Amino acid sequence: MKTPSPFVSSEPLVVENLSKLFGKRTALRDVSFKIPAGRVVGLLGRNGAGKTTLLDLACGLLLPTAGEIRTLGCAARELESAQLNRLGVVRQEPRFLDWMTVRQQLEFTASFYPHWDHGLEKRLTEMLELDGARRIVQLSQGDQQKLSILLGVCHRPSLLLMDEPMSALDPIIRARMLDVLLERLRDDGCTVLVSSHLLADVEKIIDWVVCLDAGELAVSASFDELQESYAEWTLHSATGTLPETFSETCVLSHEGTTKLARMRVCAADTASEVERFASMYRAEVKSRALSLDEMFPLLLKRRERRAKS
Amino acid sequence: MLLVIDHHNGVPAYRQIMEQVKFQVASGVLAPGTELPSTRALSAELSLNPMTISKAYGLLEREGVLERRRGQTLTVREQHADDLHEQKLEPLRRHLATAATMARQLGVSPAQAIKLFRETLDSTSK
Repeated sequence: MKTPSPFVSSEPLVVENLSKLFGKRTALRDVSFKIPAGRVVGLLGRNGAGKTTLLDLACGLLLPTAGEIRTLGCAARELESAQLNRLGVVRQEPRFLDWMTVRQQLEFTASFYPHWDHGLEKRLTEMLELDGARRIVQLSQGDQQKLSILLGVCHRPSLLLMDEPMSALDPIIRARMLDVLLERLRDDGCTVLVSSHLLADVEKIIDWVVCLDAGELAVSASFDELQESYAEWTLHSATGTLPETFSETCVLSHEGTTKLARMRVCAADTASEVERFASMYRAEVKSRALSLDEMFPLLLKRRERRAKS
Repeated sequence: MLLVIDHHNGVPAYRQIMEQVKFQVASGVLAPGTELPSTRALSAELSLNPMTISKAYGLLEREGVLERRRGQTLTVREQHADDLHEQKLEPLRRHLATAATMARQLGVSPAQAIKLFRETLDSTSK
């Protein structure tokens, strides 16, 4: 067994110049980022952006074409039981032994883990309303997701990788599911990487955003920082002297007339930019913060703009 | 402590906590010496990441709104009269800035706007 790296606790996931090709198709291209311990990371991206590939690489199910990915301080291609015992994975298309009942599958998986928490298992089974006596083959898609979540968290991992874990769950169970994750954070200081298209749900718990676009890294930043730098402004000029276009680099999109304009902006210090715009165009500037749903397309544009410049 | 977090309005949750705690301190809902819920307890109550709570608490402590006494418990700090006065005016100033912008956009004169504010004050005090 290898001695654990000293970086285990500070950065449970480190990605360095990672690329993955499937034949001629590039799934990931030169992606680099680090996740500090205790973070809840939203892994965002459109369909085919490379999210699932990244998560599969992180748990060693796929091997990189180039670059490296280190999970819990160990190269993901060489994970051993010391790391695997501390890693929780919830896959988008879970595979079960589907002739078993829910309870049998839980017992079977538990037998591989020395620290399986049976109390937690019982509580989550009740909380997520899962019937232990049912055969897996008869479970709905939503119930299969619940089982997959249970199998991913009951050994109390210190790193939890989740790929679209909530897509088939109803809103009530989704809310409980988020509470389950928060409880793991409080009790175990667990680091979570969750990919999801349900941005309104994930924005309640994430504090870091990694956004992939067509296999490349668009953004890796703290969520607070993103919320504070993206905004929608409404400019109102009583004199009708607003320009037709705005050349400032902080303006990402713009629509309107010479009297009233609406724009999406990204600036490091939005408050002082508001003042600058107000005095420069002699206009009233009203600023509104953006939700993650509204921010998402702008995060993708960031890569396009970088590529152009 | 009653806080309401809007998860989708784009304002970072830690800021929303800070603003609401400050408002409750300024308005006297949270009296000096009041003990705040632990990071853990508030995180469970608001369904928020514990890191978000500790960030808000840390900044409030740095701004002198809260203080950490005898090791662990976080309490509302006794405010200087001047500070308290400013804390009361600050949220009001922010609301009036929005109203002032609207008045100008609608072409309502300053005199008319002030008269309206006075009338509104009178009607809410009855």
